[in-house]
Amino acid sequence: MAAKAAAAPVAELTGPLAGLKEKFGEAVKPGDFEGVVINHDRLVEVATYIRDELGYDYLTSVTGVDYLAQNEMEVVYHVLNTRAGGAPLVFKARTPRENAVVPSLITVWPGADFQEREAWDLLGIKFEGHPYLKRILMWEGFSGHPLRKDWKEAYYEQDVKPFDSRWPGGHHRRAEDRVPYADNVNFPADFDPTVYTAQADAAVYERFKNYEVDERGQFVPKEAVKDENGNGKFQEYLETDELVVNLGPQHPSTHGVFRMVVALDGEKIMHLEPVMGYLHRNHEKIGERNTYIQNMPFTDRLDYLSSMSNNFGYALAVEKLMKVTPPERAEYIRVIMAELTRICNHVWAIGFLLNDLGAFFTPALYAIEERELILDLFEAVSGSRMMCNYFRFGGVARDLPVGWLETCRELVFNRLPKKVDELDYFLSENEIIRARCEGSGVLTGDDAVKYSTAGPVLRASGVAYDVRRAEPYSIYERFEFDVAVRNHGDVYDRYLIRLDEVRQSLRILQQALNQIPEKGEIQAGKKQYSARVPAGQAYGRVEGPKGELGFYVVSDGTANPYRYHIRAPSFINLTALGPMSVGQKIADAVIILGSIDIVLGETDR
Amino acid sequence: MDVGISILVWLVLSIVLVFMLLTGFAYTTLLERRVIARFQSRVGPNRAGPQGLLQPLADGVKLIFKEEIIPASADKVTFILAPLLAVIPAIVVFAVIPFGSSIELFGVKVPLTLAPNMNVGILYVLAITSVSVYGIVLAGWASNSKYSMLGGLRSSAQMISYELAMGLSLVALVVVAGTLDLNAIVEQQKQVWYFFLQPFGAIIFMITALAEVNRAPFDMPEAEQELTSGYNTEYSGMKFALFYMAEYIKMIVISALSVTFFFGGYREPLPLFLTQALPFLSVDHTPLLGPLYFGLKIIALLIVQVWVRATLPRFRYDRLMKFGWLVLLPISLAWVMITALVVLLRG
Repeated sequence: MAAKAAAAPVAELTGPLAGLKEKFGEAVKPGDFEGVVINHDRLVEVATYIRDELGYDYLTSVTGVDYLAQNEMEVVYHVLNTRAGGAPLVFKARTPRENAVVPSLITVWPGADFQEREAWDLLGIKFEGHPYLKRILMWEGFSGHPLRKDWKEAYYEQDVKPFDSRWPGGHHRRAEDRVPYADNVNFPADFDPTVYTAQADAAVYERFKNYEVDERGQFVPKEAVKDENGNGKFQEYLETDELVVNLGPQHPSTHGVFRMVVALDGEKIMHLEPVMGYLHRNHEKIGERNTYIQNMPFTDRLDYLSSMSNNFGYALAVEKLMKVTPPERAEYIRVIMAELTRICNHVWAIGFLLNDLGAFFTPALYAIEERELILDLFEAVSGSRMMCNYFRFGGVARDLPVGWLETCRELVFNRLPKKVDELDYFLSENEIIRARCEGSGVLTGDDAVKYSTAGPVLRASGVAYDVRRAEPYSIYERFEFDVAVRNHGDVYDRYLIRLDEVRQSLRILQQALNQIPEKGEIQAGKKQYSARVPAGQAYGRVEGPKGELGFYVVSDGTANPYRYHIRAPSFINLTALGPMSVGQKIADAVIILGSIDIVLGETDR
Repeated sequence: MDVGISILVWLVLSIVLVFMLLTGFAYTTLLERRVIARFQSRVGPNRAGPQGLLQPLADGVKLIFKEEIIPASADKVTFILAPLLAVIPAIVVFAVIPFGSSIELFGVKVPLTLAPNMNVGILYVLAITSVSVYGIVLAGWASNSKYSMLGGLRSSAQMISYELAMGLSLVALVVVAGTLDLNAIVEQQKQVWYFFLQPFGAIIFMITALAEVNRAPFDMPEAEQELTSGYNTEYSGMKFALFYMAEYIKMIVISALSVTFFFGGYREPLPLFLTQALPFLSVDHTPLLGPLYFGLKIIALLIVQVWVRATLPRFRYDRLMKFGWLVLLPISLAWVMITALVVLLRG
């Protein structure tokens, strides 16, 4: 069933791709998509050329696709030019399924770190030269690589939904009843779950400088730590050790089940290692079992604070494949929803950043008050406050209820601008906030691009990159707004930029609410039970509240996506957490994490 | 007076005092939750009893029936002792705080202070409040957990640094008052509160007192966002409740001390002409009003503490130390010298 898209190779390579072909000759081949396939013996060389000569300085997405029928693995790279904007440049590397190896691009774009680890974890593609190619979302007792097409989960039923047992005529039997002893759960050959103890997660500590793992798998400080001159450090005259503290997974300010392993010298952070995957449910595998439309409500569960934006990204990707455009009114509704979501998310982020600073819930609750009003609007259109499931391919699910626009206008024109000013007035100049936020967790613009951070984190470091402006989607080119930029890259700027963005969102909303047609279609074509998606591949991306949210969808013409990958901004932004936190105080680690603004539903997927 | 009667009076008085403190603690928690809810545009606990008045009772019952967990690697004796060490000093400080002048009961003159006219009152207060840090440090150490230990270390460093400034702010007060006796200090404020004579001293005292009891914005030892719960992370059930109790009783104690030192103690908080026109409002005329005025003043200061907690984010630890040593200490030193100079010049 894994029929690969049968489109003919794009014969003519245009623009930057033509230059690539000219320079590297046979190593670069045109693919059956808008991009090139690069021989992996010259991959690093070509990638460096793409970065330095073509100006694509930002690696946005790395993922793999398993083509079982061709017995081939593909690694798909999407790179961006943060200065010129425009569509991403796509290139791929191919490798046989057995012993899949591709050179790592971490030296070219350090932001590839987490994504290559994820591709190794889920697809079993080895990245040669990656310094720390360990599982990132799964645990070490997990057998196999789940996104491979021949991998079956423990309670496997069928390849794709709808499952026969859930369909009229079939009888639903719970998977747990069919396999009552869970005896189809596999473990790796050298792994025994009965002797596994949590202390064995020495792998996490491996990268800590002053520590090593002894023969029992325990984590111990190195005997003698020498400085450059070969002198022992503190140990000779004073017994001091670094203290390793696990912040999380159960911790009040990791915003979910996220864990930071921190080595402390006093209160100073010497090393920080993010550990994630506690909320992992393999969203992408489930997504590939689902039909296209079933994934729409499933995207709500990614970043559960901004479900409308998630819907938007996924709808864009599939619409690219289906080649439909939503009608005018639907486009306006989409933009309004996306911008309301952004406001929702940012006031929440600001409120909880203040909470991380130790303000006892007061700013958070003031922020939530506004969020509640926006959620009321969401509830009115979609029936649900958080899991909205409102977008459809080629439109939205329902038209706006009577009076909705008036309520929304009242909120956007009168209430919210005042409330934003109020937040600004009470918080921005507070002595303690400034003392704690200014200069902590600094991320330079170069580093922000290097680590592939996105959204407010990127823009607070002085890089004016916003997908809405760089590659306008939907009807964003009609609106007048500024891309908010701040230049210091510290926690304070990441706080301020969220206020700026809320103000810009309000500007967009005010224009959209003035321009939206009073009546009109909200869905292109007729409503269908199941979307018919032609074979092909598409990368749909939106500027989500947390950063660039991308959906890479490969269709083989059936009712289910062949590959469904999410470029999750919360996940990739965490690459910069370690570098930002080293040298800061432990109290700062918490606010740095808070200023990145992660949602674990999206980080772990 | 007969020794037997005075012992009886003392016994009854101390029982009443402890009972009032414990009730006060319970209702301070309710006060804090309700007031903070108002600050945060919420309602707060209002389900248990009318206006949530039975909430402290419900909390107490819940905590008593919670499972007591002692971590396997903890030092058991110290682990159990630590909460007691935190609570006892907090209660004991109250012995020297006058909450009224003296009243006649069944022909017996009852002073409304447990240890009236103690001539080392302020020294006693400083000594006992310093002891209370042991509860926290030992809890942090005995839990054998990293968060607890960091919390305990933080609190010891913090308390030591802030006690200096606190002591100095009281030195200035003693220079003016010329006595260490708390009853005498209150009586001296009959006409004008020391707050107006010692504004810097009063403000420094209140700031350092906040730090002393680990209240926001100085709640470093239990910084929830960094250390989950700091020194009491590993505690549960009644032992946890004891720490909680210690914190809130200490809140009451520092409010009571601030009132005694700077806000006229149990003296009526009324302008002079009013008490001259309506003499029955004066404590001299109706001694029973003393505890009432005292209580109202304490509640006002408690609300200020809650207000601060609802408003301010937390300091960072290193800045907190810097603030203590480089700002508060020099200011209070300078203030002591200025006060001494003025007193000297006025003869």
